[in-house]
Amino acid sequence: MTAVSCIDLCKTYRQGDQDIKALDHVSIDIQEGGFVCLSAPSGGGKTTLLNAIGGLDIPDSGQVIVAGTRIDNMSKGDLADLRLRQIGFVFQAYNLIPVLTAQENVEFVMQVQGMAANKRRDRSFAILKEVGLEGLEGRRPAEMSGGQQQRVAVARAIASRPALVLADEPTANLDSKTAGELMELFKMLNELHGTTFVIATHDQRVMTFAKRLIRMLDGQIVEDIDQRAA
Amino acid sequence: MLRVLFMLAWRNLWRNHRRTFIMLAAIGTGVWAMIFMTALTRGMVDQMISDGIKEMPGHVQMHNPEFRDDPSVNNLIALDDAELAARFEDAEFKAWASRVRVPAIVTSERDSRGVTLLGIDPVSEREMSFVNYDDVAGRFLESSDDKGIVIGEKLAEILETEIGKRIVIMSQDPDNEIADRGLRVVGLFTASTSATEETYVFMGKKTAQKMLGIEGATTEVVFLGDDYRNVDPLYDAVVGKVDGNVEISRWYDVNTYLGTMMGVMDGFVLIWVIVIFLALSFGLVNTLVMAVFERIREIGLMLALGMKPGSILGQIVIESMLLLAIGLTIGNVLAVITILPLQNGIDISIVADGMEMMGAASMLYPALYANDMILANAVVLILGFLASLSPAWRASRYEPVEAISKV
Amino acid sequence: MSIVLRLAWRNLWRQPRRTWLTTGAMVFSNVLLVFMMSFQFGMYDLMIENTLKIFTGHVQVQAPGYLDDKKMRQTVADIVPLADSLRTGLKSNKVAARGITFALASSEERSYGIMIYGVEPGFEPEVSTVPGLIIEGEYFSGIAAAEIVVGSVLARNLKVGLGDEITLLGSGVDGSFAAAVATVKGIFESGVVDLDRNIAEIPLQFFDDTFYMQGAGHQISIFAADLNDVGDLQIDVQKMLPAGSNLVVPDWNLLQPGVRQAIQADMSSAFFMYFVLVILVSFSVLNTQLMSVLERTHEFGIVMALGLRPGRLGRLVLIETALMGLMGMLLGMLAGAVVTLWVAQVGFSIPGMDEMAVQFNLPATMHPSLTLFSLTTGPAVVFVFTILAACYPALRMHWQKPVEAMRAV
Repeated sequence: MTAVSCIDLCKTYRQGDQDIKALDHVSIDIQEGGFVCLSAPSGGGKTTLLNAIGGLDIPDSGQVIVAGTRIDNMSKGDLADLRLRQIGFVFQAYNLIPVLTAQENVEFVMQVQGMAANKRRDRSFAILKEVGLEGLEGRRPAEMSGGQQQRVAVARAIASRPALVLADEPTANLDSKTAGELMELFKMLNELHGTTFVIATHDQRVMTFAKRLIRMLDGQIVEDIDQRAA
Repeated sequence: MLRVLFMLAWRNLWRNHRRTFIMLAAIGTGVWAMIFMTALTRGMVDQMISDGIKEMPGHVQMHNPEFRDDPSVNNLIALDDAELAARFEDAEFKAWASRVRVPAIVTSERDSRGVTLLGIDPVSEREMSFVNYDDVAGRFLESSDDKGIVIGEKLAEILETEIGKRIVIMSQDPDNEIADRGLRVVGLFTASTSATEETYVFMGKKTAQKMLGIEGATTEVVFLGDDYRNVDPLYDAVVGKVDGNVEISRWYDVNTYLGTMMGVMDGFVLIWVIVIFLALSFGLVNTLVMAVFERIREIGLMLALGMKPGSILGQIVIESMLLLAIGLTIGNVLAVITILPLQNGIDISIVADGMEMMGAASMLYPALYANDMILANAVVLILGFLASLSPAWRASRYEPVEAISKV
Repeated sequence: MSIVLRLAWRNLWRQPRRTWLTTGAMVFSNVLLVFMMSFQFGMYDLMIENTLKIFTGHVQVQAPGYLDDKKMRQTVADIVPLADSLRTGLKSNKVAARGITFALASSEERSYGIMIYGVEPGFEPEVSTVPGLIIEGEYFSGIAAAEIVVGSVLARNLKVGLGDEITLLGSGVDGSFAAAVATVKGIFESGVVDLDRNIAEIPLQFFDDTFYMQGAGHQISIFAADLNDVGDLQIDVQKMLPAGSNLVVPDWNLLQPGVRQAIQADMSSAFFMYFVLVILVSFSVLNTQLMSVLERTHEFGIVMALGLRPGRLGRLVLIETALMGLMGMLLGMLAGAVVTLWVAQVGFSIPGMDEMAVQFNLPATMHPSLTLFSLTTGPAVVFVFTILAACYPALRMHWQKPVEAMRAV
């Protein structure tokens, strides 16, 4: 089953007096349960592609299909709903809402979804335990290390059991040991729940974890490697 | 969902506690000033009105239609005393009284003055009169046939007379013959303004009628209701009981200055409350704009996670309303605790003559009305809501991607 | 422009919306202050002038005690020659003698107790607006004429018209019975019902004859060229009084204490309102400047680490505030002046004001008068409070340690 399907995506930004082609006729299919790394140097188009898949950004042309639904022509409200119910996000930084505790951050999406309080609570505790943050549920983001914060973000991303998790440079602000632990966590969750992961990164260590590695340059896919064999 | 928004709004409010405290101080001060100032002016106007009504007296009056323009003994009420008593005896007014009110001149051996002569029945006017019978030096009139006269202390001073001395009161009878009579001063009253003490002299109603040659007739009937702010029921009741050639007027028809004062006061309260709010609103909008600006990334994150723009808007508006609600509480409490100790009156006799020019007394009793407090609070909440819409709307319109990547 | 000024100016515009909102608060208050003060002081002057012009004058010459008791026998002897000598001495015609008493005025049908003013027909119009308010007939033909000018309500109540006779009954200065008959020569209407109902004027000599005054009167009403000259006038008049006389020269403050006190009462409530406005603006400025300092903690930390004294940074914050305050002051004065001048053109009236206005001898439509005082006072005070409000954020610099500051985000 195809989790994400992109057909001929194009997106051009204007930066200063220059047009930058962030996506230049990009087409990919990502299977359910996939663990995909999008790798590109800065400005290579990986974040743009990730945002297009997540419905955060709308391509100039081409189609994006997530879980069988075409999303590039959806309304903002529907996109918000889609993100709320189908997609988990992990960003590079500022992942967490500063005024909420770790547990509340994890509960946030479920709460907005309207899930019952006791159910959310059980699940957020379970997931925080799963990501190794047992005992830190009551801490606010400012009271946690960068790695812990990213784990909370991951916990939040998977808490509502989305089919797809999108992560944009999740390890950028972490040291290599913590980054490795985070990737192990991703991998574990991928295998445990069958959640599809799409991770944009230029971190070599991250790429080695991926089942499939897609390299981009100047808005085009230059390489698409299946790493499972290796 | 609403709970999440409240929680976020509440916690965000205390993130920058210094800013919040300053805003609370500003709102508190503003609201305090709104209510405090209103209570003072209300107190002043209330007293002006109640003194004014007492002096008239009564909430509703009945006259010959010519009388108010031409207060003469010729313009008598078409109904005589017996007829009036028959009509109003069992009516459910708080109080009513019929009286003789004519212009007159009093003369002592030393001087003479123009005054308003009130021929009254002291028993039926006890509750309505501006004179407190017990505070009168000497004694007040005891009955309608009392042969004495009660004048103000200031008038006694001018006439160089005193209790026990005789003065002559002079007016006209219906045939325009001079009607005069010598009476012994039996009491001196005091009033809140010296003009009142100079203007009014009291005689027994029957004595006055006899002197003026109008036995059984009166020029004025006065009615007291329960609330001077709502005199229409009383007015209707009086109108229902009489027919014929009489004019029935409410107090504010008689004293239009006081009547307008009440209206102008309401306008003043509203303007004052709005002006203060506007002065506050700059700070409020500024605070919200700052709060939104600082939180662009978080707002972007929430949007990215699937929160609807409407919820973002709601969150900012709730934050603003919480801020206002706390500020309002502080302001209201401050107002109440500063006004309560002043309930016994503020002495402003230093500007007594000026207050007299306005028709007010030299003690100021602040009047704290629920309606005024509700008005102030409602204006702040409603206008505050409107003022916070713009920054909140802006916050909800961010593009998540741009917001998140903003540094 | 010095580098500090330029830096301060640019810092202001890092957050244009915030700067404008804060400036807006100042402009709002300043416009209000300028307008209200122009309105208020214009109103006071009118209140004073209009009240004094009816009868009172700027100063009067009276017998001692008359001011409080207004008794018939508290007289100024030989009042007409005295008024004449004052006119000569002051080189001014705005001097008029009067006799005043209560009397019963009777027509064929009615009698009313009223105040009778005996006036000098030649000079009364110089010191009182009443002669100018005659709507029917005219003023007196001579100082001894048996004529009377009455208020319109009084004429109506007495049911008299021009040419009708009114009998005056009262007591003479010696306490004897006094009576006279006068012909209605004119009817005035001031719009103030109390005045129109209760007052009549007769020529001074006729007054003298009727009430056995023997040359005496009760007051000489005098106007100065300007309200500000009243003090000098009072001294001049005092000097010109006959040697050995015990006459007093009260000024309008004593004659009409109500006016001054009504103004004081109104002023104190107005100043309370102004003060609240200024305080609210100060909070706004305090908030803005504190935010702007807190935001730049990191930046300030770096500069301090580089060796800049905290005092200089504090000064920078004060200069930023001063620039903003200056902007608020100038824009506020400009907008305030425009609004005030515009309202001065078209006039200003509150619905229902007429009744109130009459009480204070004011016209129903008022025109604020913009003066240097009303234009600058409010904005200047706002400016001072603005600077005061910025002191706390500026002083905070001194407590800040560079390293901690740099660590702040």
